[in-house]
Amino acid sequence: MGFLGKGLLDGMVVTARNFVGSYFDKERLVTIQYPEERMKLPENSRTFPFLVFDGTAENLRCTACKICETECPPQCIYIVMDRDEKGKPRQRPKVFDIDISVCMQCQICVEVCPFDAIKMDNDYEKARYDRFNELVERLPDLLKPNEYYQKIKPTGAGEVDAKRKLEAEKKAKKAAAAKPVAPAVAGQPAAAPAAAKPAPAAVTATATPMKISIPEDAPFSAEQRAWLAGFLSAVSAGSAGVSPAVVSASPAGTNSAAPSAVVSKASPPASAGETPAPPSPAAAPAASAPGDWPWHDAGMAMPQRMDLAKEKPLADKLMAAMAQTDCHACGYDCRGYADAIAAGSESDLSLCLPGEAETAAMLEKLMKEAGKL
Amino acid sequence: MIQPLTEEKRYTLTPGPNGMIETQTMEVSIGPQHPSTHGVFRMDVVLDGETVVKLKPVMGYLHRNHEQLAERMAWLGSMPYTDRLDYFNSMTNNWAYALSVEKLAGIKVPDRAEYIRVIVSELTRLQNHVCAIGFLLQDLGAWGTPLLYAFREREKILDLFEAVSGSRMMCNYMRFGGVRVDFDDRMLATARDITARFPKFLDEFEKLLTENEVLLVRTQKVGILPKELAVNSSISGPMARASGVEYDIRKVDNYGVYGRFDFRIPLGDVGDVYDRYYIRVLEMRESVKILQQALREVPQGPHIAPEVKLRNFKIPNGDGYGRIEGPKGELGFYLVSTGDGKQPYRYHVRPPSFINLTILEDMCLGHKVADVIVILGSVDIVLGEVDR
Repeated sequence: MGFLGKGLLDGMVVTARNFVGSYFDKERLVTIQYPEERMKLPENSRTFPFLVFDGTAENLRCTACKICETECPPQCIYIVMDRDEKGKPRQRPKVFDIDISVCMQCQICVEVCPFDAIKMDNDYEKARYDRFNELVERLPDLLKPNEYYQKIKPTGAGEVDAKRKLEAEKKAKKAAAAKPVAPAVAGQPAAAPAAAKPAPAAVTATATPMKISIPEDAPFSAEQRAWLAGFLSAVSAGSAGVSPAVVSASPAGTNSAAPSAVVSKASPPASAGETPAPPSPAAAPAASAPGDWPWHDAGMAMPQRMDLAKEKPLADKLMAAMAQTDCHACGYDCRGYADAIAAGSESDLSLCLPGEAETAAMLEKLMKEAGKL
Repeated sequence: MIQPLTEEKRYTLTPGPNGMIETQTMEVSIGPQHPSTHGVFRMDVVLDGETVVKLKPVMGYLHRNHEQLAERMAWLGSMPYTDRLDYFNSMTNNWAYALSVEKLAGIKVPDRAEYIRVIVSELTRLQNHVCAIGFLLQDLGAWGTPLLYAFREREKILDLFEAVSGSRMMCNYMRFGGVRVDFDDRMLATARDITARFPKFLDEFEKLLTENEVLLVRTQKVGILPKELAVNSSISGPMARASGVEYDIRKVDNYGVYGRFDFRIPLGDVGDVYDRYYIRVLEMRESVKILQQALREVPQGPHIAPEVKLRNFKIPNGDGYGRIEGPKGELGFYLVSTGDGKQPYRYHVRPPSFINLTILEDMCLGHKVADVIVILGSVDIVLGEVDR
């Protein structure tokens, strides 16, 4: 330090330089005249959630599975599933309210949604004149077209669209694969229950076998091998139009029960980041291929579904009691949850959110009937 | 109309036994609405003239039941609430919570995620320290200028945070096993740009403040916190280091990838307000060093551990304490899991602001009221974290 007051003078030089310099600085911060001009928001910027629909508002992606309602940290979402006159769920919400005075813009609803139905908006002008009603966004306020989402978040929307396209293709393929088998199976309990009984596990033994086996020295773990076997069988079934129940998965898997279990495990569309449910040996002999699930239709009412699964093993009955949305709210798909319950690895019977109390009660009843509860 | 004083009520100014005029102490309540208390914080101060003889911090005006809320929520659900603890440093809060859960559940974090965490945390440290100094100067009466210079720099960092996480302050950025959004090249370039410019700003900031005579007079030998007292009252962070306690969790625990970086821990020797100011400047310089290394070495790879599920992930039975060196000190989360539930059985926060504040009285005794404000400013508290 030189003399007393030098520090002060130095400081004043700094402020003077900033004062003058700010007029010439390229990065000078100038006031943005807000209502007339707006800053461009970064793509990730988020405010409140909205619901995406494709094409028309009727075609919204939300299936009212209630995962977001459960996971929302401040509990600002309220959903009621839409049902028709007979009480059948219509896989869409009747009521979907978001209280934006409670919402804390945390984006967790977006992250947990398995259907890419709820996304973050970047509209920050939500000031309202009323404190209560106007700050609750109802279903019509929340609905926005996919084009809007593409506009505000091009990258995110692009990823979602690509993913959905892929899933749709997979689904179409699967539907094509399941078609030749499904009518026969659906007709089974009614037409020839006695004839179907002798071969419960190898339902499709009559179909032409098309073998794709993985070489035994291939560098896969048991789990990977199982998944791959299921995948290959699904592909081959899709191309050849035969049912997949004949792939030899493991070196030792020569009995008819093991391959069918493998196929059922591989059946859910493997969603990213979701590890498949652990293989459950106890449930394996009881499980069946996707084509054998005529009740796997969310539009069907519970009694009808249970009727279809009447003659089936416990795991199938349990599955028929689920809401059939494959929403993963329980952490599995419908098949996986049923298998886990049947195998005893999952003891909580109240995990099916879209099925509400109806499913929980039915699961309890079935487990009691089976003597497992 | 003013009544004339009666004979009885008139003050008697007769000297007492020691030859001085006898006076009474006065109890003053500073806060909770006073701007210099940095939020809704109250100090019950007993004054003898202008000298503090007793000081009682009163907290709890901003209590929000954070811990209890977390105990009825899924593990992930608490993450956005941790943003609201110390709302200046949501990134480091997220990290502390994520680290505790990862420790408890045995989750391994990919390398890239660790680097990203270091980058955002050091940027957080920069903007916290620069604002802490700004507010300290504000408390000293340097209205506006240093604080606005500080905010100018902070703005660039917050803009980056918004681009990355979607929100400027409530980032909600980290997830168990990594971070939510990957840094793309543009964001990394912005971070490099901020890092490259920051030393120049620090030089300017120091030229403005470090040798300023008014600052020196007001802060040197004010609010001295002796080393032993700092250790005994478990003070952490820049405050402890200003008192000469060599304790930085980045060095002690080497959490994340901090072991890979070359940086030093600045230490003070007096432990007064000036040391606390200057230690923050030096820490920012070290942070810039860490940032340069991290940004140079950031590897490719996944930004989040792919096997970690967002929902319904079970955490094994047990308890765990994860802590990090937050900009304000040791921020830790103590979590107990019963193994079957979806939510923590016990969730406890060890907030640095709160614990650093407990020593306020010892630092303030014997100083004037105006110094109390400065000392409080040098502790660097955020009431969201003090009260939770």
